[in-house]
Amino acid sequence: MKIVVAEDEFLIADLLVVCLEEAGYEVHDAPHGADALTLVRSLEPDLVITDFMMPLMTGLELAEAMKADSALQGIPIILVSGAQGGIARSRADLFDLVFDKPYAMDRLLTAVADLGRERGQP
Amino acid sequence: MTQTLPRFSTGIPGLDTVFGGGFVEGASYIVQGQPGAGKTILGNQIAFATAAAGKKVLYVTLLAETHDRLFQSLSTLSFFEKGRLGSNIVYVSVFQTLTREGLGAVVDLLRKETKRQNASLIVFDGLLNARDRAETDLDVKTFVAEVQSQAAFVGCTVLFLTSAGIHDESPEHTMVDGVLELHDELVGVRTVRRLRARKSRGSAALGGYHQYEIGNEGISVFPRIEAAFHVPSATDNPDPKPLRSGIQGFDEITGGGLPQGSITLLIGPSGCGKTSFGLNFLSASSREEPGLHFGFYESPERLLLKANALGLDLRGNVAREEVDILWQPLTENLIDKMAYRLLDAVSARGVKRLFIDSLGGFERAAVHPPRLVEFFAALTNELRAMGVTAVGTWELRDLFASGVAAPGPEISSLLDNLIMMRQVEIRSEYKRVLSVLKIRDQSFQAAPQEVYIDGHGLAIRGQFEQATGISTGLAKPLEA
Repeated sequence: MKIVVAEDEFLIADLLVVCLEEAGYEVHDAPHGADALTLVRSLEPDLVITDFMMPLMTGLELAEAMKADSALQGIPIILVSGAQGGIARSRADLFDLVFDKPYAMDRLLTAVADLGRERGQP
Repeated sequence: MTQTLPRFSTGIPGLDTVFGGGFVEGASYIVQGQPGAGKTILGNQIAFATAAAGKKVLYVTLLAETHDRLFQSLSTLSFFEKGRLGSNIVYVSVFQTLTREGLGAVVDLLRKETKRQNASLIVFDGLLNARDRAETDLDVKTFVAEVQSQAAFVGCTVLFLTSAGIHDESPEHTMVDGVLELHDELVGVRTVRRLRARKSRGSAALGGYHQYEIGNEGISVFPRIEAAFHVPSATDNPDPKPLRSGIQGFDEITGGGLPQGSITLLIGPSGCGKTSFGLNFLSASSREEPGLHFGFYESPERLLLKANALGLDLRGNVAREEVDILWQPLTENLIDKMAYRLLDAVSARGVKRLFIDSLGGFERAAVHPPRLVEFFAALTNELRAMGVTAVGTWELRDLFASGVAAPGPEISSLLDNLIMMRQVEIRSEYKRVLSVLKIRDQSFQAAPQEVYIDGHGLAIRGQFEQATGISTGLAKPLEA
């Protein structure tokens, strides 16, 4: 399973990438939403995990851009957010799951695995 | 023609005063200090105040700390409003952009992000980290220059927070409009926080060090009052009519009482009746002539008990809101903070009778004692201009002594009236004596007066008997 991670904070991005790679996924990361959208367009991943507050393009804007693109709108999106969990939850049309920081990595990994099974992607 | 630049409030109490009315819109500032000095709190406090004023703020970090942890520590401060995150205030980390693409890419990202967010303020936290990467493409000086010029172009103010000890000759220093230094140092056994506007282009800043503290509300700055009130805030209009003292017998020997809007120093050793003098003075307060007790020693309840024992209904004065008691325990105090507390309390109630017990409480809090003369000059000028008749005490060390250690001559000359009280041993008895040494512009009886404290407050009922050595406390009756 191919995953794009969008996260501006390198400590969180690093940890997320390492944990997902250890779990056997192919991971590509971007420091903000705009780079992430470019990655998503070129890689067409199976899942996007994004932060909310990021420079140039927020997680919300990234999700909106993906849903507006017929080629990308089927890709599930998980939002991990420090303070905007509420805003994200009110947009169930954009996000498949919302995690509030700090979150337990195991819970996130389980959720990723569940999504993978649903989509038939190990 | 001189122009004033448009400014905005930093939202930090006292800091606008230091910078001559706030930060200049579209200007750039470096805020520097060691770790723990409060730079990040200062940056966030200004950010939230700006957001609360309806503007957009971009908080950019190069920190080795997650924003989550930052929010966690900020959540203990009252200015932090989680609801503003992501709407009025956006926190972004550019660390990855810096490490992957260099400072030039960070400049580019900031320009796009400022425009996208329509930001009025950028706080850039971690300029030191930018320096670590400076060998890559841009040096820090060029980085600062580029960020500030592109921000100024859209009227956006920039604060660069840095741990780096930037020296006078530092190139970044010459680029920005203002430099604010935060210091956190040990003086004796206590920590003293002081800040300094090292550079303030386009505005007259209050130079020198000003103490600040970090509390639940964030940072509060207390500009040195001799700088903030180098002239009083109001015009001094002295009223020549004396104010009755509230002490039986005193007005008769001083031409009607204490001159209105004057400062009296009441000196004497412990137990001579200084506090009782003050309680009498305050018990003459009324709604028209409100009184304030600003003391370092007794708690309000103990003072009320003491007044009651003297036969004074101070509790009634307090209940009728004629007198207020402010207690400032003689512990670790900030001298200017106390002065503002006092002046604020005076102006809030239009206080006319003020008793300070004692001026030594301010002296104890002085980290730099040589400034006390200027400190008391500013404080007393301001009190006079507010029309306050103030009595302050000064403790003499020795119960009985030929030398009288009054405050230094410079301080004594700032005072209008001087009264000495002490206990005197005569004929195997202890008696209290009060001597008027100076009253501004009023004739007075200079002879020592005997003081009675007998259930009706403190009273003077005539001259002390003829004796020598009264002022030393060891008197000898004159031979008949």
